[in-house]
Amino acid sequence: MTTPLLEITNLHANIEGKEILKGVNLTVMPGEVHSIMGPNGSGKSTLASVIAGHEAYEVTDGSIRFNGIDLLELEADQRACAGVFLAFQYPVEIPGVSTKFFLKAAVNAIRKYRGEEELDAMDFLDMVEEKAESVSLSIDLLDRNVNEGFSGGEKKRAEVFQMAMLDPLLGVLDETDSGLDIDALKIVAEGVNKLRSKKRGFIVITHYQRLLDFIVPDFVHVLKDGVIVKSGDKSLALELEEKGYAGIESCGSACSCS
Amino acid sequence: MMTMNIDNSIFKTLHKNEAWMYTNVSALSNVDFSTTTEVDFTEIKKYDIAQDNPFVVFVNGAFQEGYSRLEEGISINSDTVGDIGSRSDSLIPRGDSDTVTITGNQNKTVHILQIITGDTPASCFGNVLVHAAQDESISLAETHIAVTDQNHVFMPCTEVVAEQKSNVTIVRSIRGSKEAYHLGSLHVTQHESSTVQTHTITLGGKRVRNEVYAYLDGEHCESNFDGMYMLGKDQLVDNHLRVEHNEPNGNSREFYKGVLDENARSVFTGRIYVKEDAHQTDAKQTNQNILLSDDADVSARPQLEIYADDVLCTHGATTGEIDEEAMLYLRTRGIPKDAARTLLIYAFLNESLDELTDDSFRSVLVEELLSNLPGGEFIRALYL
Ligand SMILES: Nc1ncnc2c1ncn2[C@@H]1O[C@H](COP(=O)(O)OP(=O)(O)OP(=O)(O)O)[C@@H](O)[C@H]1O
Ligand SMILES: [Mg+2]
Repeated sequence: MTTPLLEITNLHANIEGKEILKGVNLTVMPGEVHSIMGPNGSGKSTLASVIAGHEAYEVTDGSIRFNGIDLLELEADQRACAGVFLAFQYPVEIPGVSTKFFLKAAVNAIRKYRGEEELDAMDFLDMVEEKAESVSLSIDLLDRNVNEGFSGGEKKRAEVFQMAMLDPLLGVLDETDSGLDIDALKIVAEGVNKLRSKKRGFIVITHYQRLLDFIVPDFVHVLKDGVIVKSGDKSLALELEEKGYAGIESCGSACSCS
Repeated sequence: MMTMNIDNSIFKTLHKNEAWMYTNVSALSNVDFSTTTEVDFTEIKKYDIAQDNPFVVFVNGAFQEGYSRLEEGISINSDTVGDIGSRSDSLIPRGDSDTVTITGNQNKTVHILQIITGDTPASCFGNVLVHAAQDESISLAETHIAVTDQNHVFMPCTEVVAEQKSNVTIVRSIRGSKEAYHLGSLHVTQHESSTVQTHTITLGGKRVRNEVYAYLDGEHCESNFDGMYMLGKDQLVDNHLRVEHNEPNGNSREFYKGVLDENARSVFTGRIYVKEDAHQTDAKQTNQNILLSDDADVSARPQLEIYADDVLCTHGATTGEIDEEAMLYLRTRGIPKDAARTLLIYAFLNESLDELTDDSFRSVLVEELLSNLPGGEFIRALYL
């Protein structure tokens, strides 16, 4: 039997004493793409942050296993090295740190952890050029400080570019489509699709069914008030688009149609 | 004469003055500076970091002609002490040591090296007079470095006169031993449409007082006074500035930032004085600190004295810890905690060094910063 890539069981998490995740269950097998949708404030980014290892969130119950290991035992940087990547909903600007040097540090930290040789400057630059091209990211951006002064779309593209550089097993994309124009959306989706493989899995958080036309998910889940209230295939996203979340809820609890 | 003898009783009571309240240098009053010691002159070569540039070397306060490279416009006088210093209320003692006078266009940065070395405490004054005539431009880098761990004291006094449309840049770095005292001052007089920038970089010393007095005596002066410091155990820096806008349309900017580890302390006092009729003055003052330890401490005192209308004066002081969101972002990319922290500290401080236009001086200071920074090797390897 294949080991699940990610296995979240009864996950409860707090921030500043307030419970946000109230028993999330989710299993992602290698090669699968899962989409998570849900109203604003339902806990989607919280789930992504907890997976990535954000220390401000306190896990009060449940477990997360990643590729056979207890993910909650690892710190954020160890999780990244183990193969977790989070594309942030709001990528952080870091003044004074050039994107190129930051990425070199990241790539080599991960390679070191995996027992691979660190890249020298030449190999690193070759890799940068190749991966930047895959998401049509202008190389010039990489001489700037991390995310500083990037447009909304450039930030999102840069996140996908980083993901390509770091070669994770699990990519969590938190609203990577928001702020992208339609052409950029296609480019980014193509970049993600190129990374799809038998071994790699994705969690794609989005509000819009449109993205899922390009990155076709195997499963769609609806997260509401800290729990997954409904799961289905791609057609669930279409249904949501039509009826909204309220429609889904009435269907779940007091459904009169047989 | 290798060592200047000074009347050190003044140090005993200095901190009783309001302007010195955080900076106690009374330990100096018991130090005997009169012993002369053997000096290792090979040290000089190591600090001659720009060998194509004019070079003026003092060892324990004594001018070293043989090691110096004086070019046109640079001279050593034993009798000249500038007089604009008398305009300030500085309490730092002034000595009648040799004065370096710099005039004419000096586009290759003039390097003045003040080394204190030896096994007994030594003191040195370092008087420098910079006179930029109309349209001239002068770049000066001062390195003050204590090689040995003693109660050495530096009391450098640099006076700048920037005539109409001239441009003067001064980089003063305090490096080396973390036991030395440094009580330095810069006195700047600016005339119409002149531009002056000073960078005061504190990476060494036990008690470091950096005074800047600036008099914008002409219209349309541009003044940038920057400072950076990275301090650890038992170190204190006291940046003390007074910027006087005496004529309209002047722009001044004070931008000081630093990182304090262990029980290090930073004091920042910035007085901006705007004379009546000095309209359209634009004066900004910022002091930013990152504290790496609960024992570190900051006192920031902006002091605005404004007698003109139509003036823009802003001041801001921030004291914080390392940005947690930035830390998390770096760590989610696989960068370990310590390395992420080092990277962010370096980024914060290097922003100041990036302002230095002369590469050879900048890279030496980057190196010194990295050697002071825990985990600095990581950055060095990264930026190779
Ligand atoms: N630091 C915090 N302190 C208190 N509450 C917080 C904090 N961070 C998030 N929350 C709350 O947690 C809840 C879930 O937020 P989260 O960002 O996970 O929602 P989301 O589903 O990603 O929403 P969106 O679709 O708007 O991105 C919200 O009610 C939010 O206000
Ligand atoms: Mg969100």
